[in-house]
Amino acid sequence: MSGRRRSLIAVVGAFALPLLGAGTSAAQTSPSFALVHAKLYTMDAVQPLEDATVVVRDGKVQAVGAGLAPPAGVRVIDVAGRTVTPGLMSAGTQLGLTEVGSLPDTRDYALAAGTLGAAFDVQYALNPNTTAVALAVGDGLTRALAHPEGSAVAPFMGQAALLRLAPGASPLERARVAMFVRVGSGAAAATGGSHGAPWILLRNALDEARRYKPGPGVSGPRDQLLGRLDAEALQPVVAGRMPLAIVADRESDLRQAIALHDDTKLPVLIYGGAEAWRVAPELASRRIPVVLDPTLNLPLAFDTMGARLDNAARLHRAGVPVAFSVSAFHRTYNAGNALRLGAGLAVANGLPWIEGLRAMTTAPATMFGLGDRYGKVRAGYEADLVVWDGDPLEPSSAALQVWVRGVEVALEDARHRDLARRYAPAALRGDVPPAYRH
Amino acid sequence: MCHDARAASSCPETLRSRRHHIGAGLLALALATTIAPALGSAADRDERRGPPPGERRGPGEHGPAQALRDFASQPYPSTYRPLPRRDTLIFGATVLDGTGRRLDGADVLLRDGLVVAVGAGLTAPDGTVRIDGKGRWVTPGIIDPHTHLGNFPTPYTGEDAHHSDVNEDSDPNTAQVWAQHSINVQDPGFARALAGGVTTLQVMPGSTNLFGGRTIVLRNVPARTVQGMTFPDAPFGLKMACGENVVHAYGDAGRFPVSRMGAVAGQREAWIAARKYLREWQRYADGDERRPPEQDLKLDTLAGVLTGAIRVHAHCYRADDIAQLFDMAHEFGFRITAIHHASEAYKVPDLFVKEDVCAAVWPDWWGYKREAYDGIRENAAYLEAAGACVAMHSDSNVTGQRLNVEAAKAAAAGRRAGIELPPERVIEWITRNPARMLGLESRIGTLEPGKLADVVLWSGDPFSVYSHVDQVYVDGALAFDRNDPTRQPTSDFELGQPSQETQP
Repeated sequence: MSGRRRSLIAVVGAFALPLLGAGTSAAQTSPSFALVHAKLYTMDAVQPLEDATVVVRDGKVQAVGAGLAPPAGVRVIDVAGRTVTPGLMSAGTQLGLTEVGSLPDTRDYALAAGTLGAAFDVQYALNPNTTAVALAVGDGLTRALAHPEGSAVAPFMGQAALLRLAPGASPLERARVAMFVRVGSGAAAATGGSHGAPWILLRNALDEARRYKPGPGVSGPRDQLLGRLDAEALQPVVAGRMPLAIVADRESDLRQAIALHDDTKLPVLIYGGAEAWRVAPELASRRIPVVLDPTLNLPLAFDTMGARLDNAARLHRAGVPVAFSVSAFHRTYNAGNALRLGAGLAVANGLPWIEGLRAMTTAPATMFGLGDRYGKVRAGYEADLVVWDGDPLEPSSAALQVWVRGVEVALEDARHRDLARRYAPAALRGDVPPAYRH
Repeated sequence: MCHDARAASSCPETLRSRRHHIGAGLLALALATTIAPALGSAADRDERRGPPPGERRGPGEHGPAQALRDFASQPYPSTYRPLPRRDTLIFGATVLDGTGRRLDGADVLLRDGLVVAVGAGLTAPDGTVRIDGKGRWVTPGIIDPHTHLGNFPTPYTGEDAHHSDVNEDSDPNTAQVWAQHSINVQDPGFARALAGGVTTLQVMPGSTNLFGGRTIVLRNVPARTVQGMTFPDAPFGLKMACGENVVHAYGDAGRFPVSRMGAVAGQREAWIAARKYLREWQRYADGDERRPPEQDLKLDTLAGVLTGAIRVHAHCYRADDIAQLFDMAHEFGFRITAIHHASEAYKVPDLFVKEDVCAAVWPDWWGYKREAYDGIRENAAYLEAAGACVAMHSDSNVTGQRLNVEAAKAAAAGRRAGIELPPERVIEWITRNPARMLGLESRIGTLEPGKLADVVLWSGDPFSVYSHVDQVYVDGALAFDRNDPTRQPTSDFELGQPSQETQP
């Protein structure tokens, strides 16, 4: 692996040396530094702060201001007017849970057999060495939700985990942050064949979980459907501490989700939400957030007949909190750039630009209880920062430097970049086989 | 990994299709020039006791010589007619003409369905529609050389897990099937692609089979039948596939082929059979046999490749697999037009240049299966830098709406690697180069005078995610206008769907 540094970033100041190689070691230190001359999106304002300085100490933002003089003795990085944003967050990936999508041996996000339903919890499978993680960070992603795609007991998919994509032994920030449930045509077959069955089973599971009493020798009634593990896993849900993330697209299912929320008062998030724009006022009045795919505009299934590119714009106008997760394998394998493309597309179709950025920072942070420490460039917040070579919502732009909680990530240390260097046109001209180039 | 219908939209494993189309007019010429190598070595020719086709003029044992059967004739011919059109002048725009030129403040004149002039200060007769292009960009119509629109139509349902119209996955060799016979013209995706500037598409059979069947080239203009969309006189293609999909589809079920070597053997055996079939037809044409051979749909397609009338489009990811195909083409004397997906083409750009084969690629797909593991974003740029022919393709009804952005991503990766890729060159990846892959470079793909007037008017830089397609012209006719609902086609399927009604 090579740890080349971007030559674009001028390093000045007395303490430049300790920074070289930062991020490559497992034992992280978090030296102080200051970015100067940034076009900074703090996420506290619509307009960027021009000529901004960001001072970072101990992994946190210490100070932010226009033209602020950096403290004496810290490394100063002149970003020369480039755009700086918080590190981005995807509200839905399988990062850390897959290496090669088609290979079951490397795929940890779904169960094909066994007994686990609601109890399936992805935290135990997280693997920070999956190569999609480095690619995502290189695209400016520093946080992500990693959620299960299916369990052995429909309609439950299992429990999601929050990741921070810093170098280190584990990307886990917090486990058990949401209970995923799939309804709609994707779940109908697994529950017997009707859009109605998943709802009946879900409501029943919540009832059984409420009645469940742990203890030796105690079991449920003979006709209880939930196993002990699943019943225990649902306790935080029925207590209102863990949101139900309901994967649903069709308007009728979205209305069922709203009804469930009204009946139970439990916190609900919508994933998918292709037709959410049709129930925007109802979602807004209950502050039910929607995590949607901004690229979806086709009836890929009968459930998404109403899919529109201005879904995000319409929901935002109605007051619904919106975050993004893109479809299919891009959600994980291109978790950063596909997310930015999606945000750009939402903006192209009516979402204000800053809302596109919020949907990748403060909005998902708030949904998952991180809003008090991640998602903004503000004193006291964790220093997730990205320097961009252009508009971050243009998928052809790239991240030049990325810090996660104040630690710079060595972006060149990524398998894809190694391959690109090995096969660069100039490198191919030699007589030595590529295998000898490292 | 294709768990649900939504994932399938861009999931290659579920995208299976092929297409076939005919260029009857070109055939006579092609026969004279290409059949000789197709028939193999000099020894082979001796064996059949005659000179190469095209040279023989006298009668044979059983009668006079006649033309070799046309293996690429189209018995389901195009009935496409351009939409009603008016001569149009777009003025004052930034024009990327597809030949590597960028003209700022330029005009484009469309007359009688053709491009007649591109340049500054053009004049047009009274009655010409004038479109103000100031601040806007003009490019040739976008060509998607690999789509499954129509033969893998949305919406997907549980049925697609068992059978669909994109893959005839009943046998590893289904060279006899033609994609055009699967196409549902009411696929909502056609109109979405049109709104993304796509004017011509190649619909492919899927990749489950070693030989998936014939491809078809369509005009992206709504019609009631496939014939009404069929690009007149475009050559047929043959979809081949190497690698994992075939082995998974058949090997996992205990059928041949189970391995890559089995896959290659299966293809070679098919070419041997096709060579024999072609010889039999040649003997009949030469008058050496009284009765024609029995027609075999499967071998017709392969023989059409051997004569050069049908173009080979091969799904192949890995560099080593690609090199095997190149050698196979030499072994049997056929030409490969393009390698599709080609995730590892960047490892062997020299082979693509030497073999004069195009690569159709994505900008950033990788990881979803083993043979896509080494996909890198610099792929297209590295090929371009080596002098190879590169095109973007979609294989997806989602990204197929944004091939401009796909090209932008691939170009940006190349620029970061130090390769100069100005917009006037990158546009060729979605216009001129795919036109070349389809054998249509003399008719579409650039804005040169005499070309068909397939034109996209963009609201801004076509390589920005924020830009919209304002207008699309196909054969000089306005097929789409973002600001005019009467020029926005919708499929029958979507008509009257309550969930699409926008509320006041």
